[in-house]
Amino acid sequence: MKSPFTDAELEAYLDEALPAEAMSAIESALRQTPELARRLTAINARRDADLHSLGEIWRRHRLTCPTRAELGSYLLGVLPDQHAAYVAFHLEEIGCRYCQANRADLEERQTETSEAGKQRRRKYFESSAGYLRRE
Amino acid sequence: MSSTSESDGLLISRIRGGEDDAWQELIDRFEGRLLAFVESRLRHRAASEDVVQETFIAFLTSLPNFDTTRPLESYLFSIAAHKLTDHLRREGRRPALPLAGAGSSQGDWDLPGPQRPASSIARSGERRGLEETALVHAAAQLLAYWRNRGDWEKIQCAELLFVRGIANKDAAAKLGVSEQTIANHKFDFLAKLRAAVRQQGLSEDVFPELHDCG
Repeated sequence: MKSPFTDAELEAYLDEALPAEAMSAIESALRQTPELARRLTAINARRDADLHSLGEIWRRHRLTCPTRAELGSYLLGVLPDQHAAYVAFHLEEIGCRYCQANRADLEERQTETSEAGKQRRRKYFESSAGYLRRE
Repeated sequence: MSSTSESDGLLISRIRGGEDDAWQELIDRFEGRLLAFVESRLRHRAASEDVVQETFIAFLTSLPNFDTTRPLESYLFSIAAHKLTDHLRREGRRPALPLAGAGSSQGDWDLPGPQRPASSIARSGERRGLEETALVHAAAQLLAYWRNRGDWEKIQCAELLFVRGIANKDAAAKLGVSEQTIANHKFDFLAKLRAAVRQQGLSEDVFPELHDCG
């Protein structure tokens, strides 16, 4: 039976770059299909051999990711129709995890009570500021 | 997304100078998207916040080595992805993979047909970087050209074929166009990338997909 996962998707899995549902589906399949583990191992070996993959480079450089400002305009519904349709395609059909995270953040910022977010960010600061190197 | 923006670059300089305000500003700017990235996988707020916290600490400890030609957001996402992967492994959710080449003296990665085996084209990291830069430059130029012309279908086609890796016929079905149209877009795109790689005097052998005109 043909695998439901392409090599490009397996590469993205290795980089933790697929949408959450697809990541979980591959993890689940990996437990039942030794062939899938073999394919992932082969991809790792190809990487070790320094061969390039277009998908990998594309994701690393985020060649088609909309800017955060474009995502904001998309959420506000002010992008031209064709451009908006492309952003929707990138988010849903391609499933760009980084842009999905940006979209969730932009949506959250519109609704989050300011105090909860402030407290969280303050906590991050306090737990990490000791690592600042002061010259 | 090609490099650190001017404002991010300035922020990094201030953080390198040890400015608390700058560090708080970076956290304020990026924590929401990092939390959303992690939480989409963990579905658990407290554990996700811990992973984001580890991400920020790892960012500060790696800051002396941060290459400002890299976009800051992508760098933070890559650290978060590593921290998330570690967390999932500890939880037993992410299965370990066998080592490459285990059980085989040759491995499974040599190129088919007339192309040289990968093992014979080992080269320096610097050269590998040049190859990647040449490819990114050529692809970005072509994508920008399509974007400016409103050729969204060509961009969608390229993403389906190379980012999702689906077959021509499946891309044709998703976009509602003929397989021939998809094949034409693919041929144009790969021809331009091959030309860019050749122009730089680089080997096409290290980009196996550039020869895939099916």
